[in-house]
Amino acid sequence: MSQKAPESPQRQVPSMKSSPRTRLLLDSLRKYRGPVALGLLTLLLVDITELVPPLLLKGALDTVEATLGGTGDGSALAQDQATRKLLELALVYIGIAVVQAGCRYLWRVLLIHSSMNAARDMRNQFAERLFTLSQSFFDKRKVGDLMSLATSDVEAVRMALGAGLLTLADAVFYILTIPLAMFWLSPRLALLSFIMMPVIPVFVLYAEKQIDRRYRKVQENFSRLSAIVQEGLSGVRVIKAFAREDAQLGRIRSAGHEHAQSVLSLTRINASFGPGLDFLMSMGLVFLLWLGGPWVVEGTISLGTFVAFQRYIQKMVWPMTAIGFAITHYQKALASSARLNEVLDARSDVESEEQPNLAGAPPPAPHPVARGKIEFRGLDFAFPGSDRQVLQDINLVIEPGQRVAFVGSIGSGKSALLSLVPRLYPCGRGQVFVDDRDILDWRLGELRSQIGFVSQEVFLFSEGVLENIAFGLQDRTVSEWRTQVERSSQFAAVHDEILLFEAGYATRLGERGLNLSGGHKQRLTLARAIARKPSVLVLDDALSAVDVRTEARILSDLKRRPGRNTELIAAHRISTVRESDWIVVLDRGRIAEQGTHARLLASGEAGIYRRFYDQQRLREELEAYIEELDSARTGPEVRA
Amino acid sequence: MKNQFFRPFLGKHKDRVAETAGIDADLEGYLDREEATHQAQSRIQRMAIVRVWRRIRSERLAVAGGLALILVATGATIFEPWVFGRAIDRALLPKDMDAIRVWAFFYFGIILLRVSATILQALVFENLGQRVVKQLRVELYQRLQSLSMEVYDRNPSGRLITRVTNDIQSLGDMFSAGFVSMILNLLTIAGILVWMTISAPRLAVYVLAVMPFLFLSVGYFSEKLRYCYRTARSRLSALNAFLAENILGMRVVQLFGRERLHLERFDRLNSWYIDAQKNTVRVFSLFVPTITFAQGLATTLVLYFGAGEAMRGEMAPGMLVAYFTYIGNLFQPMRDLADKWNIFLSGMASAERIFGLLDWKPEEGPVQTFTDPVAAEPYPELRGEIVFENVWFAYEGEKWVLRDFKLTVRAGERIGVVGHTGAGKSTLISLLLRFREPQRGRVLLDGRDIREYDRRRLRASIGMVQQDVFLFSGSIEENVHLWRHNPGTAQDLQERLVRLGLDFKQEDFSRELEERGGNLSAGQRQILAFERARTMNPRLWILDEATSNIDSETEHRVVSEFDGASRGKTCFLIAHRLATVRECDRVLVLHRGELVECGSHVELISRDGLYARLYRFQTSSEELETTLSAALPDAAGAHTSPAT
Repeated sequence: MSQKAPESPQRQVPSMKSSPRTRLLLDSLRKYRGPVALGLLTLLLVDITELVPPLLLKGALDTVEATLGGTGDGSALAQDQATRKLLELALVYIGIAVVQAGCRYLWRVLLIHSSMNAARDMRNQFAERLFTLSQSFFDKRKVGDLMSLATSDVEAVRMALGAGLLTLADAVFYILTIPLAMFWLSPRLALLSFIMMPVIPVFVLYAEKQIDRRYRKVQENFSRLSAIVQEGLSGVRVIKAFAREDAQLGRIRSAGHEHAQSVLSLTRINASFGPGLDFLMSMGLVFLLWLGGPWVVEGTISLGTFVAFQRYIQKMVWPMTAIGFAITHYQKALASSARLNEVLDARSDVESEEQPNLAGAPPPAPHPVARGKIEFRGLDFAFPGSDRQVLQDINLVIEPGQRVAFVGSIGSGKSALLSLVPRLYPCGRGQVFVDDRDILDWRLGELRSQIGFVSQEVFLFSEGVLENIAFGLQDRTVSEWRTQVERSSQFAAVHDEILLFEAGYATRLGERGLNLSGGHKQRLTLARAIARKPSVLVLDDALSAVDVRTEARILSDLKRRPGRNTELIAAHRISTVRESDWIVVLDRGRIAEQGTHARLLASGEAGIYRRFYDQQRLREELEAYIEELDSARTGPEVRA
Repeated sequence: MKNQFFRPFLGKHKDRVAETAGIDADLEGYLDREEATHQAQSRIQRMAIVRVWRRIRSERLAVAGGLALILVATGATIFEPWVFGRAIDRALLPKDMDAIRVWAFFYFGIILLRVSATILQALVFENLGQRVVKQLRVELYQRLQSLSMEVYDRNPSGRLITRVTNDIQSLGDMFSAGFVSMILNLLTIAGILVWMTISAPRLAVYVLAVMPFLFLSVGYFSEKLRYCYRTARSRLSALNAFLAENILGMRVVQLFGRERLHLERFDRLNSWYIDAQKNTVRVFSLFVPTITFAQGLATTLVLYFGAGEAMRGEMAPGMLVAYFTYIGNLFQPMRDLADKWNIFLSGMASAERIFGLLDWKPEEGPVQTFTDPVAAEPYPELRGEIVFENVWFAYEGEKWVLRDFKLTVRAGERIGVVGHTGAGKSTLISLLLRFREPQRGRVLLDGRDIREYDRRRLRASIGMVQQDVFLFSGSIEENVHLWRHNPGTAQDLQERLVRLGLDFKQEDFSRELEERGGNLSAGQRQILAFERARTMNPRLWILDEATSNIDSETEHRVVSEFDGASRGKTCFLIAHRLATVRECDRVLVLHRGELVECGSHVELISRDGLYARLYRFQTSSEELETTLSAALPDAAGAHTSPAT
């Protein structure tokens, strides 16, 4: 166990099997080996000084015994000497107490602070890795799981490095030093005191195993109970609708009962462990009195030595418990460390290692503005980890300045196609080109800075409106932001409404902030994308919650947007699509039809676009009818 | 870095650790205000103590037994060093060989007594604690379950779940780890102090002299620590909020090239949190040495003066030895006290929240139906005639979802309900099931006000199938009959499911569903939900988009099964797809809480209103879909049915 110290050359240990698991544990502390070493050194110092107090008591008692036994003629003088001796002993004692208090503060702070620093580094490292991983990673992982890695697993490792390491070191120092002192004082008594010693590791190991097993059972039962509570409360509508409250309560009751049973079974061992160990150690005291007592009577051992032994035996209880405690920490940390490594070892599938976006130098500030020519050459695509072809043989050239609309039903591959342009997912070489350059040859950050991508799902951060729109503006001052932000929110037709918010652009958004309607959110995300003045704008069904008239206005305004080049728009509404320079109809991952609105309509009754057009016309007719219905209705409260 | 270790945490430093102070403006949005402003309200806490006590009162016998065991354990703890000391004085010093054996045996006995009493009291109290916690959990859950749906719509279920799981847990911890050990510690301290004062008053003075200082510092440090813990907790929640948001919005962060910036902000929050944690360590690291130093001081005084007295023969040497042990035994519990106090406080905070919830009012109705619900019997002879009499309903304030809604449904009629999201369709269901009460007007069932019926019996008479099917952990069988006592045979169930187009093997029924049926398709789930309702043999049916995810071939089977099960019964069919409601006796077209059209399919089409337009749009959409399928008949591996 003792090679857990950070200085140990773990790397050279031949058994590489355990190495990846322990890697994180040791690496994270390596940076702080200075304070850790100092902390361990102070700890050792304290533990050595811990040996002294029993010796001081021994001195005191021996002095007392001597004066009591030696009452004769020169007793006054002896008493005087003895008192001076006692004063010396007391001074040493208080001196040791001061040193210990100081050192205790030091080693605690040194060791635990180091473990906290290591935890901070670990968490940063974890976050850094997350920021570089691509969409396909996040599609597979649940947020809750990642969060628990960053919190409980990092905490488990930290506990092993802090409390775990220091109790282990403390216990090991005790176990190494105290018996030495005892043997030095009296080998006979030492042997006597340690009669019970061999039993203790057996007891500790057995109890640890039992505790571990029962603890696991408790955890299992608790998560079962939690699951039942959780589903009962989230499915309360079903429970109530079927009037099955009684049955659900029965489930809670029996799961609760099982949990309580397992807790009690754990308690039976847990409650006996500490006192049991205490009992075993105290047996040493009984033997000391029973078998060692006669030696004191015989005079072969002084009363002081006898008492010093009593103190030492009492001191041995703690390290025995501590080792078990440290082992538990270490095991938990190993499991956590393995889980963390899984993420830390994950690699982005859109970013090549040679030109990492995050780790390298920041990208050069002034990008050459892309002309915005986009080309798909024989593009086939399947999401990573799936063998279903989402896109097949897409060939398409979009000239700079064009606005191209993508049309198709759900699952036709529109979103997948658009998400490949900013390389949210990995595609093969030679399939997607921006400005005649393979997107794999672009620096990721540079490529993305050219593209304003607005997706179906809106996501805004818990910050102000201003900060949210200025999200992509990195190296500007706040006043520059403001004008830029206002201009882009005007383009997104949301400026006037922002001014109506309680605090205007300073209004805070997010879970604990203002709750916006879907249309507002979509326009804010559009404004956020425009604020960067990207040369290519990609709108993936991004205005679905905005009403038809506003959408039309936004789209016509966007043509005058500064820095504008190419626009790729996926949409349902015919009014949106009609005004585009080119229309691409996708069906099941293939291009089914393409052309201008007029040409596609002219292509006859059977065409998909024609059908689509009819359907959308009927939809718009329906929407118009509804609007009519609404405006015919009276009553001001309807407007609210 | 170094000087930080020595920085005193008192005085000016206090400002630096203020819970929310020091966070940069751009990260303020992640602070949980509720957590940050949560103050220990001692009055409410005192009430919580009283209420916890009331629950334990019925267990008086166990409490008394446990306390007796604690007394024995404390007594033995106090007595043990005395026996050892006496053995020195009465056996070793007088050189009495025989007495040694007697004293050793006596000593062994007292150790045995102490150890067994300690173990037993822990078992007794843990038993008691688990009983109380178990009972409280069931009670709390009962209360939650009896709350009206309105409460569930207002409170995120996550918060309620936390009450039943974590808060109850922490209350249990408080009981076993906090409260009882605190009593044990306090008794030990008091016992030793009293015993020292009685047996050697002069020496006790030296120990007592240190005490006030010690108690003050325990109080001071535990207050300080609590503050530190709270600060760290609120900072941690800010850190977590930031990270969770960034994981959710990672796509945006990456598209805008903000990775570096956000990593830097994460680092700031992270360090801010670690600072709070370090501060806790600093306080704690001062606290422990303070106690050990006090211990050292007391021992020094006893060593000097006590040994002096012993030399003058004013004190037995054995007693001096006992005193050294006493001082050790006195200070150990002091060290624990601060920790225990904090466990106790956090348990109290949980108790406060739990009792707060227990005070919430349940749905109105006979109380006993909720405190001890029994299986609800459906009303056997409902005809199913329903009248909505000028019903007004709003979820909040004056935002009317239903406005002066009037409708008469004859017994056995099949009614289709059509309308956009927010038209008021689901509100109708909520009113029928009495999840909600109308603000004005009333709903009549068989001529009687629906409020006169027992809620649970009424609900048990209505079969409801929803679009999003909620499955519970457990088997298919359990999910269909929802833990009914006499569910019928598995073979029966299998046959019925096969008729619905769901072909499972019989042994699959009793097998635990994986991740609550996550591996079942939405259509399969809907079929299970339909069967779930059918086994209740309802008098009244409500189908809310119940077949939306079932493919058209299977849908025919389900519809014909439904026709059989619902013959002569009143049915409400809520649907997006108008084809579903074509065969209904009447179709209601709702728009913003008002009935804009009503009539049979043919009538509505000829009226050329909202329904007709909706119908035309949907027909053309379906045509589009068929065209798409025709255009590429054999697209390899593409299974893009509109249902998914």
